[in-house]
Amino acid sequence: MRRQGAVLGLMVLLACGGTVRAVPPVLIKARVVHTLDGAPLAPGMVLIADGKIRQVATTITAPAEAKVLDLGDGELLPGFVNGYTQLGLEAGDSESTRELTPRTQVGSGINWTSRAFKESLAEGITTAAIGPGTANVIAGVGSIVKTAGPTIKGRIVSSDFGLVVTLSADPASGNNARARPDSIYVRQPTNRMGVIWMLRSTFDQARRTSDPEGAPLRSVMQGNRKLIVQTRTYQDLVSLLRFQEEFPCSPVVVGGHEAYKLREPLAAARIPVLLAPLTTSSRQGPEGTELSWNSAGVLHAAGVSVGLTGMFPLEQARFAVRFGLPKDAALKAITTTPAEVLGIRDRVGQIAPGKDADLVAVSGDPFDFTSAIRWVMVDGQVYDFSK
Amino acid sequence: MTSLRQLSTVGVGYLLLMFAAGPAHGQETLAIKGGRVLTLAGPPIENGVVLLRAGKIVAVGADVAIPVDAKVIDAAGKVVMPGHIETHSNRGMDQTNENNPNVPFLSVVDSIDPAQDYFDECRRNGVTTVAIVPGNNTMIGGQAAIVKTAGTYITDMLVKRAAGIKISLRPTNERSRMSQLVALRKELDDAKADLEKERKATTAADKPAPTGKDTKKEDQPEAEPGQVPPRRPPVAPGGGGEGPPPPSPEEAAQRRAALVRLLKGEFPAFIYCELAMDVHQALRLMKDYQLRAILVLGADCHKAATALAALGQPVVLDANLVFWETDPVTGDDRRIALPAVFRAAGVPFTYQVTGFASGNLFRAPNLPATLGSNYLWYQAATAVKYGVPRDEALAALASRPAKMLGLDHLVGTLEPGKDADVIVLSGDPLKLDTWVDHTIIRGQIVYQRDQDRKLKDLLQPAPGK
Repeated sequence: MRRQGAVLGLMVLLACGGTVRAVPPVLIKARVVHTLDGAPLAPGMVLIADGKIRQVATTITAPAEAKVLDLGDGELLPGFVNGYTQLGLEAGDSESTRELTPRTQVGSGINWTSRAFKESLAEGITTAAIGPGTANVIAGVGSIVKTAGPTIKGRIVSSDFGLVVTLSADPASGNNARARPDSIYVRQPTNRMGVIWMLRSTFDQARRTSDPEGAPLRSVMQGNRKLIVQTRTYQDLVSLLRFQEEFPCSPVVVGGHEAYKLREPLAAARIPVLLAPLTTSSRQGPEGTELSWNSAGVLHAAGVSVGLTGMFPLEQARFAVRFGLPKDAALKAITTTPAEVLGIRDRVGQIAPGKDADLVAVSGDPFDFTSAIRWVMVDGQVYDFSK
Repeated sequence: MTSLRQLSTVGVGYLLLMFAAGPAHGQETLAIKGGRVLTLAGPPIENGVVLLRAGKIVAVGADVAIPVDAKVIDAAGKVVMPGHIETHSNRGMDQTNENNPNVPFLSVVDSIDPAQDYFDECRRNGVTTVAIVPGNNTMIGGQAAIVKTAGTYITDMLVKRAAGIKISLRPTNERSRMSQLVALRKELDDAKADLEKERKATTAADKPAPTGKDTKKEDQPEAEPGQVPPRRPPVAPGGGGEGPPPPSPEEAAQRRAALVRLLKGEFPAFIYCELAMDVHQALRLMKDYQLRAILVLGADCHKAATALAALGQPVVLDANLVFWETDPVTGDDRRIALPAVFRAAGVPFTYQVTGFASGNLFRAPNLPATLGSNYLWYQAATAVKYGVPRDEALAALASRPAKMLGLDHLVGTLEPGKDADVIVLSGDPLKLDTWVDHTIIRGQIVYQRDQDRKLKDLLQPAPGK
């Protein structure tokens, strides 16, 4: 797999090196092409050139020099977008010396050669939004990257997709109230109330001053940057709804283990939810949250825009469908919805002309547990996982 | 069939009641009709009938007459198959492992909690028989039991009380592998000596060979001293000098009684091999002590697949069927799919399922796949996904584990005379939208999807909840 990747990588490198037509175009034929841009094409063809999708149609007359990839009974999907993850942050996902680190860049902590990127790629993930962990009240800005590619620069889709904050008890964990309040060991916050207080007072201060530390917060309030909110419990989301009334912002919920309990208000406030990975082995999530198998389905039915996250997007989508999410919504939840929410829909999430050539070839019906991912394409480069 | 019906109507059913293990409705005739019947003992039967009475299957076929008094389950458009069997499970117990690494005298029967959610999940997912085996963290972990997944008390559930003994080759209590093996072999040697002593005593008394159940070592006369290896003081748990005084030789022999039964072949050993190197030790132990064993494999054991092929018996795969490995020298990353590896090596297998995992918010890498792999049917689907033929993947759900556990005369296929453990599925067993509609154990409906309030709540939570 690695060898093949290297050969194809060379081809892409040549393409990047200036010789515009070093790589011949690729024509992919599939029994079904799930474009996520209107109805699926059955059968369908997709023409790729220079790492971009050029043409999508039922039949395409291929240029003479084009290489043809015939999937036979296989089906083609857009590359999956993992809407929130800590992929590649093995060396630590939080700057834990302070609770407020709004100018921290997660991009500088990414291990670009992490095996986790290959594992993700094998599961069809071509784009991943990497954000900091839950230890800070205001954690910093996240990066969106491709899971594979010849250069780091080429892999970066966005080095700032939003300001990540935490609305749960996590930033307080490990901080203890002390008998002596002047002790150097005293750290705030020590509980959930403190977390919310710190968030609101910091935003309030940023609004009233021009302190450079407050700049990312001000851009959130000016509508120039999304607010990515890590939440779990019902009360986290209640706090968010209140926060949104006080401070103008466009929040995106990530985690949202109990978001299904507040589906109506979330829909009314037009807050999208990127759900923490669904599990079937436990009914209780972190912080004692009550999990619902069909949280994606009920959120969707209530009109909330839902994305699915985790290392196994296709399995997430399959189980979400098993539990009640419609199939088309499930495919969107691992492609267009996270792309839209993260503001990168112009590049990924659909099979449409002009978009990045990020594709997933599945051996059969994607909603069949026995269908396997054959190969994954990132920016026109094929990574074979059929063995 | 008619005579059986007369029997029950006459009221001799009281006799049958003892086998039916349940209240009187266990004797009522149940007919599952109209479904696609996967007997796992031959080709599928379209539009078939499965007739159950007094806890047993009485007929299976396309043209089976349904008695007028039978309760009928309409399975038109559905799939009927034998209840699934878990070959090795550490769940359903109050505590998986004893702290003491050498406890052959313990039995999981004393730890099984029938009220645990695990059994509920089993019935919801079509698992009707489970071998509950002590965990992998003890050297000799105690006796396994085979149970049905429905019952109020453990006695209602038992199929086989002493169904095996757990041996783990993974070092316990910070021992090295060397001392783990020495300690294990010493226990087996001592048990062998006990057995020889017992056999000598019985030959001397000119009695027929004991059946094993009533052997009490302390009642046996002493063997000739020269024939028995000198007995060293037993290894204290953890090897420390503290703790209770070591048991007397008689007491120690009594504690080893289950090992003697193992050596006699009364039940198999479930040998857990953590690493591929443990497989070779397990094979040596099986040869040296003539052990009947079921090998329970850790993920690393795929490297020993060829050696296992020579053994010629099925193995139990790790619950994480697919994972990644990095070559320490070349740095090459490789995805390992256990079903594909073992199939290529010609080693038949059955599955385990993953247990509960704590939900770690977003730290996905290296988190075991807890989506689906806690279901036995999903493991079969994964096997098919990685190239295992469907029939074989399905056999590993029921007929193969039944054989491995020595229960193929009772369960694993839909054939007359076997236990009435049947599941009715809404569709093909490996399909995305298939659910278990009915689970029947010993002729009794123990699960019905349309009455599963827990499931309803999970799928359609009330607003505001």
